[in-house]
Amino acid sequence: MADIKLMKGNEALAEAAIRAGCDAYFGYPITPQSEVIEYLMMERPEDRTGMIVLQAESEIAAIHMVYGAAGAGKKAMTSSSSPGISLKEEGISYLAGSELPAVIVNVVRGGPGLGTIQPSQADYFQSTKGGGHGDYRLYVLAPASVQEMVDFVDIAFEVAFKYRNPVMILADGIIGQMMEKVVFPEQKPRLTDEEIEEKYGDWVTNGKRNNKERNIITSLDLDPYKQEAHNHKLQEKYRLMQEDELMYEMIDCEDADYILVAYGSSARISQKAMQLAREKGYKVGIFRLITLFPFPSKELNELAGKVKGFLAVEMSAGQMIEDLKLAIEGKAKAEHYGRYGGVVHSPEEVLEALENQIIKG
Amino acid sequence: MAKVRGAIVVDTEKCKGCSVCIPTCPTDVIKLAKDVNRKGYHFLYMENPDDCIACTNCAIVCPDGVISVYRVKV
Repeated sequence: MADIKLMKGNEALAEAAIRAGCDAYFGYPITPQSEVIEYLMMERPEDRTGMIVLQAESEIAAIHMVYGAAGAGKKAMTSSSSPGISLKEEGISYLAGSELPAVIVNVVRGGPGLGTIQPSQADYFQSTKGGGHGDYRLYVLAPASVQEMVDFVDIAFEVAFKYRNPVMILADGIIGQMMEKVVFPEQKPRLTDEEIEEKYGDWVTNGKRNNKERNIITSLDLDPYKQEAHNHKLQEKYRLMQEDELMYEMIDCEDADYILVAYGSSARISQKAMQLAREKGYKVGIFRLITLFPFPSKELNELAGKVKGFLAVEMSAGQMIEDLKLAIEGKAKAEHYGRYGGVVHSPEEVLEALENQIIKG
Repeated sequence: MAKVRGAIVVDTEKCKGCSVCIPTCPTDVIKLAKDVNRKGYHFLYMENPDDCIACTNCAIVCPDGVISVYRVKV
């Protein structure tokens, strides 16, 4: 039977990880994400499913513990907030280079630097354009509710293992700290070594049997031609993700003249702004990004032919707007609105920006 | 009729400084403190304790249930 609970986003994510059959969590506390590791420590999943929870000595240690666990074919997860994710970027690049599946959760806070502990969406570039070194991409999911914090954990692990690529859940301080009703799925069993090999292939380094080639997991190849071929393989993977794993939501876009493009908690705020705008007689719809990479360029381009303007609503100085502008190829007007550095915009402010920058502007 | 006076006790370590409670106070008693808790959040405190009427609005809206309200007749 499904469980219904009232929970904080961070705690719900932690519980969802246990239920998704996650094998290991390595983390380091940082506000506003600390409840993930706090909940896991209190819940003692080692008694429930055998899942390992460890507080590492640093973020860098945590991500490399994930690298090790992922190399053994285990479902490994880590979480942090913006400054901590910057520290993890080295390991994330290595995970992508070595083609290892892992789930990384970023509960974004205001930056740059240590910044603040209030919510922000200023890590869009870092998450979708690479963040670490090299030509790699993460599959990036942006939950907009506590329920999605739960649902996306399982999706994240599935995609991570299907493509052997790290997946990022890009939440923000609001989603992480917000209390909402959530419905939990049934407990999934953790996979055994044999089941992992059967389900995901025999790349796993879980011990060399006599009749088997030795599996090696590395991101290093000193032959540039081999490295180029490896990069082609990675790019092909990202192309397949674009084709098969793209997710977005269109709310009241059928008759809309103006579209609010948003993700995460900005999409929630935009829903109220849309309601206020419709009361005023403006036909406004919302295009909510669920995956930030892959980005729904084709879908936005098609929509651009039918509408008068787009407003990108994000809690940053304007990051997602760049992808939006590339996608719509100048077919319609596109502007950015957002408060940032830890300040959250109100629906009234979004509506005012829509009126001034798009409708009258 | 006896006058009712109230007082609130805040679990400062659990308060996340979301400020949902502040506009619900009819007598402007509560504010966020200059100090922060272990997580770094400015927590709630009684700025004007004499004005509290123990209406419990703040405790009702608190999403994390960190506020307890006490009521005394004077």
